[in-house]
Amino acid sequence: MAERWFEADLERSFAEAPYYPDVELFTARVTGRLDRGWAFRRLLIGSLGLVGGLVGGLELVRSGLIGRLDTLSTAARLVLENLGGPDAARGVHELMTSGATLDQRMLWMSGALALLAAGLLATRSLREF
Amino acid sequence: MVQALASRAAAHDLDLVALAMTGDRAAFGELVRRHSASVRALLRRMGADPATADDIAQDAFLAAYEQIADFRGEGAFAAWVRRIAARLYVRRWRKATREALALEGSGETDAAEPPAVGADARLDLDEALKALTPSERLCVSLCYGAGLSHAEAAAALNAPLGTVKSHVKRGLDKLKARLGASSAEGGQEQESHG
Repeated sequence: MAERWFEADLERSFAEAPYYPDVELFTARVTGRLDRGWAFRRLLIGSLGLVGGLVGGLELVRSGLIGRLDTLSTAARLVLENLGGPDAARGVHELMTSGATLDQRMLWMSGALALLAAGLLATRSLREF
Repeated sequence: MVQALASRAAAHDLDLVALAMTGDRAAFGELVRRHSASVRALLRRMGADPATADDIAQDAFLAAYEQIADFRGEGAFAAWVRRIAARLYVRRWRKATREALALEGSGETDAAEPPAVGADARLDLDEALKALTPSERLCVSLCYGAGLSHAEAAAALNAPLGTVKSHVKRGLDKLKARLGASSAEGGQEQESHG
């Protein structure tokens, strides 16, 4: 029984710790390393996102963006003309069927998403730095 | 801000762990403030010099933050971090020594002969541990400080289970000679009260 008491006492003694006067400094070092680690990760993720965005943008340009803009402007003009008339829905229908193909709608959506991503990046950067 | 700091200081460890899991680094900082001493002390008791002990303790807390989702709250947070720290120290110790624990044996010379202990001897673990050989100290600290079983300690040290057990036994005998009198008396007192 004395053996068990001794072992329990020993475990308790190990769990008890002396007071270290530099506890605040130690804590600051750990949290500082944590903060630096997270800042680095954010920077890495942001950089990878930027590179991905640039690659995506280049791919959009290479897919014939300029040529398609002409078609798109024609379609937009059609919509504007029809919106002035009694049946606005018809104008939208014209846009969907005549000028704007599926590719063009994808283009607009990509553009909107890119703007959204840029906005998020800007607000995040303002908060972090 | 001040209110948030005060609430963190008053919060239970498990609440702080839950906050840290959501990425609240300030909550984790409070855990470090509370438990760094026991982790640093364990590493020094295992045989690390103060600077190395502090380095490993920092690494242990960073590792704990990374793995905090693995903490299930079944035991104390401090005990969990002490286990991480102990394993990190053993890894470093094995790299540094590059020799098996089994090589150390009964031929190892004792650091010091235990002095006679009076009934009112103060339980001074740090002083008593100095009487142990490095291997005994490591094994005893792993089992009684980090809470590893003999088998877990053997696996961590990459040593035969029997070797670890014998180191623990010899270490305990030496500690008992230094600390045992006061501890045993305390136990007998409590038994008689019960």
